[in-house]
This record gives sequence, structure tokens and C-alpha cells, in this order.
Amino acid sequence: MELLLWLERTAPGVWLRESPSIFAFPTVLFLHTLGLALLVGVNATLDLWVLKYRLRVAPATLTRLAQLMWLGFGVNAVSGVWLLLAYPAKALTNPVFYGKLVLIALAIVAFDRLRPHVVAATPGAAAAVGPRARTLAALSLGLWAVAILAGRLLAYTHTMLMAEEAFR
Amino acid sequence: MSELVEWIASTRLSWAVNNYGWIWPTAETLHFCALALIAGAVGMLDLRLLGAVKGLSPARLNGLVGFGYLGLAVSAATGVLFIAGAPDQYFFNAAFRVKVAALALAGVNVLAFHALVAPKLAALGPDDDAPRAAKVVAALSLALLIVIMCAGRMLTFFRPLFI
Repeated sequence: MELLLWLERTAPGVWLRESPSIFAFPTVLFLHTLGLALLVGVNATLDLWVLKYRLRVAPATLTRLAQLMWLGFGVNAVSGVWLLLAYPAKALTNPVFYGKLVLIALAIVAFDRLRPHVVAATPGAAAAVGPRARTLAALSLGLWAVAILAGRLLAYTHTMLMAEEAFR
Repeated sequence: MSELVEWIASTRLSWAVNNYGWIWPTAETLHFCALALIAGAVGMLDLRLLGAVKGLSPARLNGLVGFGYLGLAVSAATGVLFIAGAPDQYFFNAAFRVKVAALALAGVNVLAFHALVAPKLAALGPDDDAPRAAKVVAALSLALLIVIMCAGRMLTFFRPLFI
């Protein structure tokens, strides 16, 4: 509980929570949505490519898609930690928050497992993917959908907003 | 405007959204999943046409845009639920007006895509550079997607004060 109190008193946390500026909380929240669109959007489109066309992708292309996903992940790691600092008790006392982190980790593992099944061995050859790739692609879509569900539920399932209020 | 708001607030749909607690979070989740689907399917084609991603056939990527339309249908349906549940939060909201205007411009851009870009996609190989017109339409599409997401996320912070 000391940790929660300390976290919510950190300078970035206080600023994000208390600044009335449109460039504070609203903008960081928007960046979290933009990162989601990039990370999940690119991964979901690759999944749909695999499920619809059953085709492999050139190594350089797959690397580029992974770079775009990491960019989205980076934006969301930074914006996510910042949002966490604004209301640490709200998230850290909610089991749904840990569920969300596990789901994101599983979705990234699914992408990592999918990569070798999708990468084309010979450039230019439109080789088909196997059933394993299709299973992983479908699993990836499902994991991201449930991760988004968990993220949305954070606004509804918290039992505490500020540690300071709860332990006054 | 306020008569329209009052009428919407008096509908059974509005009553349902406000009386079943699960509807709003469920609709939000679907709205965000649809966002990822649209941004992914449409945005990947945009990035490919702009040359930021190579090695994927533009025609095949265009074949995935149907999933973007599925996302759009889900977004529109869940968006109707939000407006039905709290019409005053939207009709007197500057961010909502920006979002609707950007959606309208995106619709015009889609028409431009079908008229100018789509017929040329079949001729483009996975690594070919797209024509200039395609790049302009793709850049506008990406920019409008970002504006729509930004205005959507900002809705909460532009709520009318008298509510």
C-alpha cells in the first residue's frame, strides 16, 4: 500500500491526473488507442491474410510488420505505464488488470510462434501455410479481442480509485 | 436539436442501453475491436500503397478491406447504441462534430479510392511502387483514420457542461 501511495505521488502521475490540459490525460489515452490500432491492427491483418489466402510472406515483409507492431507496442508500453502512474491503485488492486497483461503476453507469444510458420523460405514463391499457422492466426485474433475486452473492463471493475482516498 | 435529443432519449433502445449495465461495456469492447479491424485492414493497404510496407500484393490487401467494412458495420451499430443511450453527450459535443465530419470526408475518400485507385491495383505486383494518386488517397485515408480515432477518444473530455 505504501508503494501505491508513492506511485500516485510521482511527478508524471500527478501531472497526468491533475493537469486540465487536453495534452495531458486525453492525449495519453488517445496515444494508447493509436498504439492499439497499430499493434493489433497489423497483427490482425496478418492473421486475416493467413486465414483468407493461406499464403506465406517474404522475410523482409514479416520483419517490417513486426517493426510496426513493436512501434505500436512501444507507444502503448509508455502510455500504459504513464496511465498506470496516474491511478496505480485503480489498476494494481484489480485482478482484471493482471489478466489484461497476461493476455497481451500470450498474444505476443502467439505472434512469435506464428512467424516461422508464415515466413517464406524462397523469395517470390507463393507457398501455402500449414494448418498450424491457421490455428495460431485464429488464436491470435481471439487473444487480442479478449485483451481489448479486459482493457475496457478496467473502467468498470475497479474497486478503488486512489490509495490516498481509501486509506485516509 | 434538443427535440431530436429528447425523442432519442424517449426510445426503448435508449431505455435498454441505460437499464442493462452490460450493454455499454460490451458495445465499447466491440467498438474497439472494430477499430483495430478497420485500422488494420485499411491502414495496411494505405501503408503498402505509400511504400512503408513492401512485399504484399496491393490487390490481395484490398481483398482484406472487406473485414474493414465488417468493422465499420460493428462500429456503426455500437455507435448507434452510445448515441441512443446518451444523445445529449453527442449532439452538443465539439469532438463528435469533428468525428462525424472526418467520417464524411473518409467516405468521400473511399469513393475517390474506388474511382481512381482500385482499378489500378490488379496491375501492381507485391513490390511495385504505387502511382501518385494512390499515394495521395492512402495518405488521406491514414490521416482521417487518426483524426477519427483521436476525436472519438476525445469525446469524453468534450462533454457538455450542463449535463
